[in-house]
Amino acid sequence: MVEDYAILPCNGLDKCAGVISGELAKKLCEHNKNEIICPVFYRIAETKYNKIASEHPLIVIDGCQTRCASKLAAEKNLKISKKITITEEAKNNHIELKNSLRLQENENALIEIILKGLIKKEEKTTLISDETSFIANFEYEIFKNGKFIFRIPKNSEVYFNENDCWAYVLGNRARIGVTDYVQQSLSDILYFTPPEIGADIEQFDAAGEIESSKSLIDIISPVSGKVISINEVLEQKPELINENPYELGWIAEIELADFESDKELLIGFDKYFEILKKKVEETNA
Amino acid sequence: MSESTFMGVERDKIDWKPTLDYTKCDYCMECVKFCPHKVFEVHETEEIKLIVRNPNNCVVFCRACAKTCGPDAITFPDKNATTLRIKEIRKEEENNG
Repeated sequence: MVEDYAILPCNGLDKCAGVISGELAKKLCEHNKNEIICPVFYRIAETKYNKIASEHPLIVIDGCQTRCASKLAAEKNLKISKKITITEEAKNNHIELKNSLRLQENENALIEIILKGLIKKEEKTTLISDETSFIANFEYEIFKNGKFIFRIPKNSEVYFNENDCWAYVLGNRARIGVTDYVQQSLSDILYFTPPEIGADIEQFDAAGEIESSKSLIDIISPVSGKVISINEVLEQKPELINENPYELGWIAEIELADFESDKELLIGFDKYFEILKKKVEETNA
Repeated sequence: MSESTFMGVERDKIDWKPTLDYTKCDYCMECVKFCPHKVFEVHETEEIKLIVRNPNNCVVFCRACAKTCGPDAITFPDKNATTLRIKEIRKEEENNG
């Protein structure tokens, strides 16, 4: 690993996945000068760990989807640089975890796979998005409700789904993202999990996730196709989704598979604007 | 909070809701705290302490509560089947009307 990280594991002692998260953290500390943040001690004495977290990028290791470590990071306002969820890793690698609190063959194998993946990811040359080839010129309509301001693109090239995601379609490509409604509902976005480059996604599949201290949501892709590019800047600056979810905060680019068919279940500006207004009014009613 | 239609189809006609596996659920209630649409309801004093009370409040294609579920006790219908069904219903309604 190239950098020295601060590592915050969930370390749940009564669950297999929690035990794995603790063990993975220990293994990671055998590389470079990574340092563990103990989630238990952090709750009662935060000074030491706040210093470590402010000096190093942070890896959060959650055992399961309860995401205790992520929630602790959000509570302490820590910016997450990488995130690992043990149960997800086990699923993705087709490894069945036993319920034992002692690590056995499968659990150790999983730890090795995750370690290798992390090291490889560090060494991999970053794929650079071909940003210049996609020129999106947004024009917005504004809707205000109290202190909240919602901007909605009104270009005819922009399509929406009712899950508050947009697609800017140019030829056989689309750039996708979330609308102001999503970023306002989530409040401060702390972490972005991008979709995988090269992945084939169906319409309404998840094209990544975004997480704030309040919530975690799937980005529901309005279009089907192959992910050809992701907005890598968001991995370090997820707050750009809050600042402008259409331009600097775009999520991914998709090479379209069957836009004519996708279009049947998408809406344009006029319809989405009405739906948005209704949602906002209902939320604040 | 309930949306009466989704993509022009009456919400009631779209089968999209969480299903709880009570053999896995540990009643941590993370899903209840998470879902802002009041899909779930807590019955503290009963044996089954958590039910899906308002399935039509569930946002079609949203599976976020399942992501918060530590014991992995929440499942959703097949998304592609739901998409196809929505398209079918829209076609039927177009033809009828």
